[in-house]
Formats: sequence, C-alpha cells, structure tokens
Amino acid sequence: MNARKDKRIGIFICHCGKNIAGGLNIEALVESSREIQADVFVTDNKFCCSEDGQVEVQKAIKDHKLNRVVVAACDPSLHLMTFQRCGEKAGIEPQFVDLIDIRKWTMHGSPQKIDPEQALERSKKLIELAVKRISLKRLIPSIEVKAEQSGLVIGGGVAGLEAGLDLADKGYRVHIVERLPTIGGKMALLYKVFPTNDCAPCILAPKTAYANIHPNINLLTNSEVMNVEGYIGNFDIKVRQMPRYIDPNRCTGCGECIEKCPRKVVDDEYSAGLGERKAIYIPYDLAIPKKAVIDAENCLYFRKGACRLCEEVCPADAIDFEQQTRIIDLKVGAIIVATGFDEYDPTEKSEYGYGRYGNVITQFQLARLLDIDGPTKGKLMRSTDGKAPKSIVMVQCVGSRDKNTNDYCSNICCMYALKHAQMIREMVLPDAEIYICYIDMRTTGKGFEEYYRRTRELGINFIRGRPSEIVEKTDTKNLILQLEDSDIGKLLEIEADLVVLSCATIPSSGSQQLSQILHIELDENGFFKEIHPKLRPVETNVRGIYICGAAQGPKDIPDSIIQARAAASFADGELRKAKIRLPEFMVHERTLSEGGS
Amino acid sequence: MEEVYVEEFMSPGCVGCPAVKEMLKELSAEFGGKLIVEEVDITVDTTRATQYGIMSVPAVAINGILKFTGVPSKEELKKAILEEIEA
Repeated sequence: MNARKDKRIGIFICHCGKNIAGGLNIEALVESSREIQADVFVTDNKFCCSEDGQVEVQKAIKDHKLNRVVVAACDPSLHLMTFQRCGEKAGIEPQFVDLIDIRKWTMHGSPQKIDPEQALERSKKLIELAVKRISLKRLIPSIEVKAEQSGLVIGGGVAGLEAGLDLADKGYRVHIVERLPTIGGKMALLYKVFPTNDCAPCILAPKTAYANIHPNINLLTNSEVMNVEGYIGNFDIKVRQMPRYIDPNRCTGCGECIEKCPRKVVDDEYSAGLGERKAIYIPYDLAIPKKAVIDAENCLYFRKGACRLCEEVCPADAIDFEQQTRIIDLKVGAIIVATGFDEYDPTEKSEYGYGRYGNVITQFQLARLLDIDGPTKGKLMRSTDGKAPKSIVMVQCVGSRDKNTNDYCSNICCMYALKHAQMIREMVLPDAEIYICYIDMRTTGKGFEEYYRRTRELGINFIRGRPSEIVEKTDTKNLILQLEDSDIGKLLEIEADLVVLSCATIPSSGSQQLSQILHIELDENGFFKEIHPKLRPVETNVRGIYICGAAQGPKDIPDSIIQARAAASFADGELRKAKIRLPEFMVHERTLSEGGS
Repeated sequence: MEEVYVEEFMSPGCVGCPAVKEMLKELSAEFGGKLIVEEVDITVDTTRATQYGIMSVPAVAINGILKFTGVPSKEELKKAILEEIEA
C-alpha cells in the first residue's frame, strides 16, 4: 500500500479577515496542525483566496515540494474550485486539494457559530481528519464520455419554455415534458401581469407558439417523467404519456365534439373551480397544442360504456377510445427542472372560512374571474347571488410568513394584490371599495414601488393589520372582518361582499417524488435546492441537472426568465464540450442491492 | 498495516444508511482501529457528494475511490477494504 511518507502535505489556515480569526485562536490552530504529522507544512494567511494568498499557496507548494493541500477556510461549494485551480497552477492534481469549512463555527451571523474554544477544538479535529483523508486518498480514475446533444425540460410553464427555447435555439434537441394537456403553465391563466398590466396570454403566446413549431423541440404534453438513470451527458429518461383519446395528427381543434358532449364537470385546473367544462375539452383558446382531450374520469363512455357522441360528430375522425398510455424513452445530456408552483389551499386556515363561505376566494380564483376569457367572461360576481361586490377586502400573507404554515415570504402576493386592485378599480368595478389588509407591503422590483404608489393614488384603502377571523352573515352572505389597524391603533370592523385571500406560493405537487427520481435535494420548504443560494442558484447536487423559476422558490416572471436562461446557459456550458471527463465509477456504477434512499 | 479512510455518505431519513453504519462499526473493531470512518451527510456537504458524483445514499468511498452505492454485504465491504490495503 502507498505509504504516507511520499505525501507532502501543506495546511493553509485562512483568517478570512476577522471572520475566522475573530472566532478562534489561529496561532493555537497552527501549532496543533503542526503536530498532526512530522513533515507537514503549516501556515496561515489573512485571506487565502486573495491574489496574494493564492501566490503564497503556490510558492509554498513549490518551495516545500508539496503534493497534497488542505485549506481550512470556508464553504467548499464556494471556493474549492478556486484552490483546486490554484494548486493545479503549481502542479498539483486538483483532486489532491481539499477545502474544509471552519468558518461556519466562527463567523458572526452564522447559524452554526459556537464559542471560540469549541470552534478551536472542532477545527483541530476537522483538519486532522482532512489530512488523513487527503494523505490516504488515491486518484479517482476518470473517463471521457460523449455528451448527448440534447436536453430535457420538466415543466412547460414560462420558465421551462424559456429554458427550452434557449437550448433549442443554440442547436440542441429539446424535449419539454408537461403534466397537463397544454403548455403555458400558470402564467397563461393570469390574464394580466404586473407591473406593466400586459395581457399575460398575449406576451406568453409568442413563446408557446414558437415552442410548438420549433424544429428542435419535442413537446410531450399529458406526460410525466417516470424514471431517470445515468449521469451528465448521458441521462436515460422514461416518460409516461397519458392518453388523450384523440389522434393529435387528425384533430383540428374545431370544437364540434365539445359542443355535443353532454357531460359537464367543474373545471378545477383552468377556471380555479369557478367554471365548467365538458368531459372532452380544449383547456382554453390559446392552448398549445390546440387539440381536444378526453377526461376519462368523467367521460360517459369510460364511466358507463355509453355515449361516444364525440366520435360521431368529429369531422376529422380523430377520436380514439383505444389509445393507451405510452412509455417514451429519451436520452439527453442535461436536465432542467421548471415545475413551477401551486397556490396554497387556505382551507386549513379555518378562521378565514375558505370552502365554508361562498364569497371567500383566492387571488388565483380572482384572476380567473377578471379574465375576459375566464369562467365569467371578466364579470366580477359573487358565487352566492351573482351580484357585483361593492366592498372587496384582500387579506395578505395567507399561509406565508406564518410559523404554523409556511415561514417564508411568497414574494409575489403583494404585487398581484395590487394588480387586481388596480384592475377592479380601473376596468371592472370603479365604484367598489377595495381594502388591502397587510403586514408589510413588499414591492421590491423594477417599477414595483411606483406601481404600489399608483395603486394608493387610485384610492385603494391600505390597512396594516390582518383579520383574526371572518364571519359570514347568514342572510346576506356578506362577511364581517374584525381587525386592528396598527398604524392608528384602532379596532375596525368591515363588512365585505367579497374577501380575497392572497395565498402562499408552495412547491408544485409532485416535487417530492420528482426529487427522488432525479436524486436532487429539496430545501426545508420543499422547493428544489440550489448548490449555493447566492452564487450558484440554478445548479443542483447532481451535475447536469439544473433548476429554474418557481420550482426553486417563489418568484415573479422576470426572475423566472432570468433563471431559465441561466439554467440553459449552464447546460450549454457542459454540453458544448461534446466530451465530458467523469469519475469512472459514474459511468460503470456498481450498484449492489436495494435499500438506498 | 496502513490505515484506510472510509467515507460513508448518508442523509437523514435514508433507509439503508444505518445498516452500512453498523457494518462499518463492526469492521472498525475487526481492523483494530486502522479504519478511519467519516460520516458525510450529503444534505450538508453537497460539494463532496458532487465531486464523487453520488446520486443516492448510502454510498461508500474507500481512500477516495467510490466503491459502493446501495447497501453492500459485510463480506463485500470487507473485501473492498482489504483490496484497498493491498492496492
């Protein structure tokens, strides 16, 4: 076995200014490190990552003929590459340069900060362990593999489309897998978007339409990723495509089948439960692909074996009741996860009466009601009596910034409440009284503060405080809210015709399962986790799998677009090499028995 | 006998990890302290797992070489350690 004697190890202890030096005794750490092995070289530096610090590391490598380096400093996800490059420049194989994080125990503000004595003891042990590891470490054999010039995008919302189009325009073959029968995601259902009040489908349509005709894009709607094997450059994907019961090559989207279908059902997906659709349907006018789909759970033929009216009337002979689930095999070089978000179901916040009171709705439902192509064709009316509400109260942070549900801020709720308030005042019900009950208004984005001010100037009432409870009046079905306006320290009672809950943005259903299929981590809130929240926001713990949009955390459309482009850029950066060097075992992995997670 | 460095990659909630941990504990005793075992939580130290290309846990690397993903038998684990000593 390779003896330790030919390993010349250098230990570099970083002060990180006062971030480490302020939290433990550096001199003591240097001394104890010298005692680990007789021939070990130890030094400390104010900033090892600085230009001077790196020059010192390189000089020490040459002067002391070092062939192994341990840097005791900060998080390896940030700086390991810095020191590996630095070592490589001085002739050391990058795998023999290690960075260990001792700063987490010393830095002010670090959640893991401990007292200086403890930090010193733990750092000593960590350095000792790293020295043993690096001295016994053998070179990981590597192999060069060909990278498939293709990508998989999971999710056909605005982030997924942006990422997919970016890669496709760069020349890669792109498969976009969407769970629903149409691409477009949540954005297609928003009607308007802040802060420009643009028509959402109008600005989305160029992307959906382009994705539909792009020669490099394969759209797989009604489909889900079942299994992923392999590694960067060579992922083997299995996709399950649920039957539409329609031949997409024949269907012209004329809608005759929909007209004749006798079966009406509540439309949860596209009308937020406020409208109806048929058992055979096209999600909405701008759906892509604009092909009908049969909802087998509600179709009379599938339920009772009778009907088949759609088949009789279809002029294109496109109905196919025999269609089966298809399993599609794909081979791709990189994967981008863009599965978006769901709206928090406020039923569990029973104090607001959602689900019990007909006139308590969510902001997503309000967006569908305001949409001129929505279930009420843009008419804002109460579900209990069909009347236009004269008094509307919006309640912010429902299921957000709340220790009992979700601790985080959902980022977009303040802005969409402002947007809906503006729309109601300017376009729908100019005389309605509108109240927004908030904790803080968070409007940090380009043009957002101006948008907030403009909403105030429209005479919208802002109340700092949220109702503790909402009670329905049995006769009128109006809603009584009691709350304290903390700005003026006064208890208020408001009678509202309609209450709109600004609900949290939560991870898309299925995120947990997908994280297991892809072997990528979720964060404490269930969103997909990035390698580093500030500096590596779209990379995951698996090389070749990237995340973007609201799948990574609550965010608005511009931020989703930026992340989508970033994810595509990372994927391109790897795939364009055509050949990728990987650890040998990744390519010939020795999987023994079951039992792993 | 030279020491052997074993990195045991695990995560909280991993089904197979306790079995590997137990095996390594037994083998440590058998090898008379020559086995240095480090438990690496891949949810905390993502960089290390990424370097090895580890996509599932448990996983075991010996002297920097990833030997197993999944749960090996104790014999397989012991054999791999001995192989590494003789390498």
